[in-house]
Amino acid sequence: MREGNKAGIRRLFLPAAIASGVLFGAQSARAEDQATTISRGAYLATAGDCVACHTKPGGAPFAGGLVIASPMGGIVASNITPDPDTGIGKYTEEEFANALRKGIRRDGAHLYPAMPYTAYSEIADTDIHALYVYFMHGVAPLRQDNPKTELKFPFNIRAMMISWNLLFAGPPAAKGDPQTYSKIERGHYLADALGHCGTCHTPRNFLMGERSSSAYLGGTPLAGWYAPNITPSMNSGIGDWSEDDLVQYLRTGSVPGRAQAAGMMGEAVEHSFSKLTDEDLHAIAAYIRQIPKIEDSQAKQPRDRFGVAVQPIVDLQKPKLDREDDLFPMDGERIYVNNCAACHGLDGAGAADHFTPSLSSNAVVGAPGADNLIMAIVNGVDRTTNGHHVLMPGFGPTSDVQRLSDTDVAKLTNYVSGTFGSGDHHVTAQDVKVAREGGPLPALVKDMPALIGAGVIAAFAAMSCLIWWFRRRTQKQK
Amino acid sequence: MSSSNSLSADVVIVGSGVAGASIANELARAGLSVIVLEAGPRIDRQHILENFRTTENKGAYQLPYPPVPWAMHPPDQGSPNGYLHTTGPDGAAYQQGYLRVVGGTTWHWAGCAWRYLPSDFELHSRYGVGRDWAIKYDDLEPFYYQAEVMMGVAGPNMDVDDLGSPRSHNYPMKEVPLSYGADQFRKLIHEKTNYRVVHEPQARNTRPYDKRPTCEGNNNCMPICPIGAMYNGIHSVNHAEAAGARIIPNAVVYRLETDASNKKVVAVNYYDPDKNSHRVTGKFFVVAAHCIESAKLLLLSADDKNPRGIANSSDQVGRNMMDHTGVQLSFMSGNDSLWPGRGPLLTSIIDSFRDGPWRSERGAYLVHMVDDNQVDFATGLAIAKGYVGKELEEQIRYGSSHAVRLFSHNEGIADPDNRLTLSKTHKDVLGIPHPEVYYKLPEYTVKSCDHTKELFKELMALMSGTDPQWTKGYFPQCHPSGSTIMGTDPTNSVVDGECRTHDHENLFVASSAVFSSVGTGNITLTIAALALRVAASLKKEMLHA
Repeated sequence: MREGNKAGIRRLFLPAAIASGVLFGAQSARAEDQATTISRGAYLATAGDCVACHTKPGGAPFAGGLVIASPMGGIVASNITPDPDTGIGKYTEEEFANALRKGIRRDGAHLYPAMPYTAYSEIADTDIHALYVYFMHGVAPLRQDNPKTELKFPFNIRAMMISWNLLFAGPPAAKGDPQTYSKIERGHYLADALGHCGTCHTPRNFLMGERSSSAYLGGTPLAGWYAPNITPSMNSGIGDWSEDDLVQYLRTGSVPGRAQAAGMMGEAVEHSFSKLTDEDLHAIAAYIRQIPKIEDSQAKQPRDRFGVAVQPIVDLQKPKLDREDDLFPMDGERIYVNNCAACHGLDGAGAADHFTPSLSSNAVVGAPGADNLIMAIVNGVDRTTNGHHVLMPGFGPTSDVQRLSDTDVAKLTNYVSGTFGSGDHHVTAQDVKVAREGGPLPALVKDMPALIGAGVIAAFAAMSCLIWWFRRRTQKQK
Repeated sequence: MSSSNSLSADVVIVGSGVAGASIANELARAGLSVIVLEAGPRIDRQHILENFRTTENKGAYQLPYPPVPWAMHPPDQGSPNGYLHTTGPDGAAYQQGYLRVVGGTTWHWAGCAWRYLPSDFELHSRYGVGRDWAIKYDDLEPFYYQAEVMMGVAGPNMDVDDLGSPRSHNYPMKEVPLSYGADQFRKLIHEKTNYRVVHEPQARNTRPYDKRPTCEGNNNCMPICPIGAMYNGIHSVNHAEAAGARIIPNAVVYRLETDASNKKVVAVNYYDPDKNSHRVTGKFFVVAAHCIESAKLLLLSADDKNPRGIANSSDQVGRNMMDHTGVQLSFMSGNDSLWPGRGPLLTSIIDSFRDGPWRSERGAYLVHMVDDNQVDFATGLAIAKGYVGKELEEQIRYGSSHAVRLFSHNEGIADPDNRLTLSKTHKDVLGIPHPEVYYKLPEYTVKSCDHTKELFKELMALMSGTDPQWTKGYFPQCHPSGSTIMGTDPTNSVVDGECRTHDHENLFVASSAVFSSVGTGNITLTIAALALRVAASLKKEMLHA
């Protein structure tokens, strides 16, 4: 489902395809011994973040079992270790490729698009081969029977995915050997084919059809969070970020004075980007910095350039202490002082060594919407890169530090963005509740019964959208 | 006053502090039904912090927790108060601070998480004084580790400091780094004396742990950690509730009932704040309500079958009250500045007097150099000396960076005359008598304190100290213990080695109340380990029945 420059990709890769003469399923023209291929496949699996979905919480990597909840039933990620009975041990390379690119299982059954085969369709033949070799020879077979995916009727008829696939097939495979691509080509391939950017950062239309290039990486709500505009627009995107800034962000999740990664981006950094090579990170950054800008007319200045350190004026003179059970309402400033200031400072400047980030000059606080600020307050930040664990506790309903009510989170959000960021967004308790429960439901959910009535194809398109949507939610919750 | 509803669970626990909550969590996770009755209310961190910020007396650790009338607790350590009444020659040294709230007193502890020494469990066998426990160190070792994992204890590995309590595993987290002042102190002591300064094991995060952040050294562990980096009992309460345990706050238990045979407890009764009475039945009961309140409840439950109180055929309930009653000295160092008040309150300790053959004569002790902010001490001293204007400011600046505060934990010893009783003159709003404690510092502890004073003088001289300010008399450490003492003989002890009462087979006590000796280390980790051992006994008994 990469929208945008598909024709461009074909043009770009055509000479390489002619030069190498790569055929589907054939060995790469470059002789690689198996160990090299395995290690390259492992790297590609990291870039594709296979582990994120195919591992249940606390489970063995790639053994599956993660349940993706949807109103139609739970979709269970499969065991993709090479165990012959419960995993993919009996797959030929062609069958493996069909699963990745076409969503067709070895037994011919159709996968649900919880598996992002419409993105993986673009993976080059050489990389499919490396991934196959890695999964067959670099991953230990693990016998693990996972529960079967059993959706409600009529969604349990997998064959009906055929019609959906006719409507929404992904782009064709990239040509040539992606290892030989130029920096920008390589960045484009990593960003798009392995499905990291557009999946979250590009808005989807109602039935997940092709989006126009005018929306590519332009930012979209995402299960309560907001995956921001990452086009090189100065005020709306990341136009004021250098290539090095982007690389640092992808590697560590933190660029002091700009942004810190949390939520699903934190996971993507932790599991995938932080493990990619410098060269590849630079390729992604360079590519992102030259894609078409998308301007949001509301954005008047870069989101990481709002605010200055401001010291609140808190009245310390109280006539008496409040009885320990008097959990009286506090205003946003007091909630800030008693929950945030110990780490971020009364003035919001954070720690001098950036152990805790500044709240001014912070893309989350300066963003045009409060989604990510709400979600960071509720869920905290929990990110490990290269052995370095960053943790801000959440203040939501399961916090062990302080359980703030939705009303308190709303007041705090408005105080923080109003004092250190893009202004008071007048967030309400209801907004907070909706966000922490996964964001507004797609219109599709409400329209589901009508869609089923309207026709099977529409129903399956709708179902697929929902599966896709819930997959994102589940990744968030992992 | 009538019983308005009926409540029942497999296990009924009185008290929601570290002991009660950790048992509730273990049992609920094992699929048992659990009700926890807590006399006090639910509180939250942000409101206690608000109270802390707005009180001028930052050193009064109980002040930000003004109690509710139906679950009074002492206003402050070391001050006379209207709830815990003390008598006897050293009554003032038994003015303990504790909290009656959901989560218990570890809302405002300093996180010191000591294991006892093997010798602490065998005081009488080894040194001919005091009492032996009915268990040995090795019986508790696995539960010590379980408690360290539960709370998240940061401590030194053997190659850094051997603290004398053999370990099957390293600490779950790397030790808390010494603060600047503690590091200077350690260097000086190691250079000039044969004493030893070690890293203190602390239930405080040196890395993200249990979804709580790393300690940033805000320096107000007491009265409240502002960021949840230190373990509080409320974390175990949260875990227990998530596992299905039911916590009932504002439930003041006032009576335990036994069956006709008197072998079993059948119910507990509690008042809500309006004094409506409620009865809760169960298969097993655990009293985990702090040393003072646990003994108070057992005495309060006296009836025809148990005229001296529940579990009190030995007449030992309420007796043998112990503490780490110590001494305290503040002074101005004449050496380089130490800048106290940066980092956690306590990171190091002198443990050179924690054990030795002299324990047959005098109690052991530990010495803390407390790393709290000394601005108030420096200011008081400068004003008393008559400084004004710019000189006053300079003196405050100088004093704040040079003040040293030392205090000690001196080993108490079981003496049946040191006794908790129900007040005959004071009752709370529910008509429940206040606790009253007679306390005379045992000679064993007096000798220990005398030894400590000489050491303090020596340390002050090493630091070219001036302006010594000795805390008058003795200093309560708020580690009360012994009120339902453990032993093998039912005629002179209340609970057995499992913390099960000798008198009633389905009644356990989980508290420092069961300690047979009090050693020197802070008591919380041992309370938690004993509680987890109670949970293991209950699981074994209930799940294999």
